[in-house]
Amino acid sequence: MTDYLLSLVLFTPLVGAVIALFMAGDKLKYARWVALVFSAIPLAISLLLVATFDKGAPFTHSIGWIETSVLKIQYLLYIDGLSLVMVLLTTLLVFLVVLFSWEEKERPNFFFSLILGMQTGLLGVFMAADYFLFFIFWEVALVPMYFLINIWGGPRRHYAAIKFFIYTHVSSLVMLIGIFALAFQAASIEGWTQLSFAFADISGVAFAQGFQVLVFGLLFFGFAVKMPVVPFHTWLPDAHVEAPTAGSVLLAGVMLKMGSYGIIRICLDVLPEGAVAWQIPMIIIALVAIVYGALACIAQRDLKKMVAFSSISHMGMVLLGLATLSDIGIAAGAFQMFAHGLITAVLFMVCGIVGHNVGTRQIPLLGGLAEKMPKYAAFVMFGFMASLGLPGLVGFVAEFNILVAFYDWGLAEGIVWVIIIALASLLLTAGYYLWAMQRSIFGPLTDKVDVSKVHDVSVYEGVSLAVLCGLIVLFGIWPAFAWDFIFPVASDLAAVLGVI
Amino acid sequence: MTFPDFTLIAPQLIVLAAALLVPGLYFLTKNDKLAGMVSLAAVVASGLYLGWMMLEGVEGSFLGVYAVDDFSLLLTGLFLIVALLVLLASLKSVERDRHHGEYYALLLAATAGMMFVACAEDLIGIFVGVELTSISSYALVAFRKNDPRAAEAAVKYLVIGGLSTALTLYGFSLLYGVTQTTSLAGIALAIGSAPSAALYISMAMLIAGLGFKITTVPFHMWAPDVYEGATAPVATFLAVGSKKMGFVALFKVFLIGFVAAQATVVSDMQYLFAVLAAITMTVGNIVALSQTNMKRLLAYSSIAQAGYLMMVLAIATEYAVIGGLFHMITHVFMKGGAFIIVAALCYISMGEKLSDYKGLAKRAPILAFSMLIFLFALAGVPPLAGFVSKFVLFSSAVGSPGAEFGGQWIWLVFVAVINSAISLYYYARVVKYMYVDEAETEERIKVPMSFMAAIVLCLVAVIAIGLYPEPVIKLCEAAAAALLA
Repeated sequence: MTDYLLSLVLFTPLVGAVIALFMAGDKLKYARWVALVFSAIPLAISLLLVATFDKGAPFTHSIGWIETSVLKIQYLLYIDGLSLVMVLLTTLLVFLVVLFSWEEKERPNFFFSLILGMQTGLLGVFMAADYFLFFIFWEVALVPMYFLINIWGGPRRHYAAIKFFIYTHVSSLVMLIGIFALAFQAASIEGWTQLSFAFADISGVAFAQGFQVLVFGLLFFGFAVKMPVVPFHTWLPDAHVEAPTAGSVLLAGVMLKMGSYGIIRICLDVLPEGAVAWQIPMIIIALVAIVYGALACIAQRDLKKMVAFSSISHMGMVLLGLATLSDIGIAAGAFQMFAHGLITAVLFMVCGIVGHNVGTRQIPLLGGLAEKMPKYAAFVMFGFMASLGLPGLVGFVAEFNILVAFYDWGLAEGIVWVIIIALASLLLTAGYYLWAMQRSIFGPLTDKVDVSKVHDVSVYEGVSLAVLCGLIVLFGIWPAFAWDFIFPVASDLAAVLGVI
Repeated sequence: MTFPDFTLIAPQLIVLAAALLVPGLYFLTKNDKLAGMVSLAAVVASGLYLGWMMLEGVEGSFLGVYAVDDFSLLLTGLFLIVALLVLLASLKSVERDRHHGEYYALLLAATAGMMFVACAEDLIGIFVGVELTSISSYALVAFRKNDPRAAEAAVKYLVIGGLSTALTLYGFSLLYGVTQTTSLAGIALAIGSAPSAALYISMAMLIAGLGFKITTVPFHMWAPDVYEGATAPVATFLAVGSKKMGFVALFKVFLIGFVAAQATVVSDMQYLFAVLAAITMTVGNIVALSQTNMKRLLAYSSIAQAGYLMMVLAIATEYAVIGGLFHMITHVFMKGGAFIIVAALCYISMGEKLSDYKGLAKRAPILAFSMLIFLFALAGVPPLAGFVSKFVLFSSAVGSPGAEFGGQWIWLVFVAVINSAISLYYYARVVKYMYVDEAETEERIKVPMSFMAAIVLCLVAVIAIGLYPEPVIKLCEAAAAALLA
């Protein structure tokens, strides 16, 4: 029974996408209702899955799909604690994004259809347990985002959309070569005459160390562009600045996590020796991303671009956690994925509101908005505080544990001082957020733009934001709820990694 | 003396008979519609007979020249599908022209030629088939003889085609000189013992001669001009039909004749093919980036696709052949579908420039959606047919199931993958014109049923093969096994 729930949660949005597409002409106003219903169902099912989840027994669903004399590709879905948390995050954010975009006027049927279509791609990535299937969903998630940016985006949307598409497509293809290598090498070692792409088949194979290092590089490149880490990040600020709010929320909230999820699920699991060899480069890349992202934030004038760069910094934190290869580090990295998903959704929503209501997101042109938009100011403050890691909120739990794991690693390696680099970035983070807040919402009311007709957060926007803020507090004071799902997966991985 | 079993080549004979019948009928009745309908009926009848042969598992050899096996049946069927698509697109496209009888007769003769090549197991058989198709298609390109662009394209095609034929024939004659036989199986036996300078020259001639047909760089120059000058259905035929025939001929000569023999000269040729494949796909994709005419864009994209298919000749494993055949099949539907949309829009005089496609999504939602699917499939976006076939084809450069991983062709997969990414740029550009940009008019576009039938056929195939490729892969496996047996 629960088997089919997995397929149901996966394909309900796709069905909704097709139905929403046909809500054209005078049925246009029903498109959003279709979207609401078809994003509520997966959310309800994923809550049901959370309620019935048994840590010892992940949910699985498998059906034979392509079985010929050379290929064995199965429709395999799999949800363990880590997947479950990501699935919950996805279904939640899509539902809230639909609510947030309730008053979308331009081609709403196509808009909601794309969002739902993308949801299937995103969920598929977190649920697939066969490389072929994984790759399909990975690519399926890209296409709707290309359209979202290209049609509903800002002035430079065409450039941003194609840049996003090409960057991520190239990285996917490099990852695909890595997948080919895994499948062929596994078949070669085990003497299979059929190429099998199932996670379970391939993760049991003992690959040679040199091979692991090489293929880890290919796969890591594919995932790193997606996360993104410096120096493969340049598509992200462009994509975010131009994307509509809904696109940005899903891009930063869920899509970036596909990269780090892939690192955990594939790189660390299948190629442990490769991971050990790549540990130092990963840590260096992570530290560069954290510091560079934070420094870049200070320089930004566009509020949304600042949030985009802060995503780079925070995803660098995720990578730092994973790169420690310890159970706490991996679990905290995964928890940061979840935390960042919630927080960044708030941040991009408030950026979207200010851009829409005031007409500009340029920090120097804003000022004193708290006076005109008190509710908005409250949400901005809350979001910024959560993002800079205020204790009691969800981001603090994640970053604290990542830093603990990183400190442990430094201690073991005899280079404790590296922790200073990571800690310094926290200072920078607090700095750019507080400075941006001071300039945009406090102080005297701006006279550089016309704010006489500016109205505050609308009901739909307010509800979405309030739910997110509530969850940020909830998981901040009760992190165990998500942590307990993630930690067993991390400790299994770390147990294998620790032996090497 | 036993009488040869003509039923083995009945599908070809049906098409040939129709090719002879159609001009006569047209001359007698002067009925424009009849010529097209009889041709369509002949292709369908031939296809039904072929389907029966497949179900019955008919095998055999016709006089040692034409073999019927899983490979030839699959390819014959594929060529019939091409003919069906082109006929459907032609019904309306040529209705305002004269000489219907000749048009359909040439089209059917060209189809019969391709079908003969699919079965040929002898150099003479291959040559006769290739020539039948080539000569028919010269005339097809020149069909609108009063249009200067068509006349120019036809002359260009004729001169270059004549040269390529001469080269091919010279290559065949040298090959015969070295091996003393025209049978492919005989060549495979004789060749291992006799690597000689003449053999190298012969292979160079063959690569050049057949390279024109498959638009290998540097023998590709004619393709964009000819596709642009010819009517869109004829361009479809050249891009998805006669090009595949060139590949089938190359597969037969090189894979049966040479690779199967494991001759020492083979590895040199494989390197040559690998380099040509890499150059062809790169040139095709890079030049396609700057095209502003839809037909030319598709022409360059076809050149790039030819580069992908040439990887098969370099890698030359059974798995690679499976991938190659699979990609040939999916390419017929993806590229065929895209070309037919162009044909349909030409028919309603919408122009063939990229900018003419602005706002197509609003003016013709189904056409735009189909074009989107075909282009994304060509770019290899999952879960469409083009993705699965590229998946198998590209992965064959990494290894072969059951064999040692890795090897000398790994660099090819990187080249192919980078090319695939480049190609996404120009496909996405067309999609942007259709979906993002606004049209100058909001006027809805109506396209005749015959076009829609062909487009929907391709659309269903591209999506269905993408979602459930197993049956097609199995057919390709059987065909590859038969080819290399």
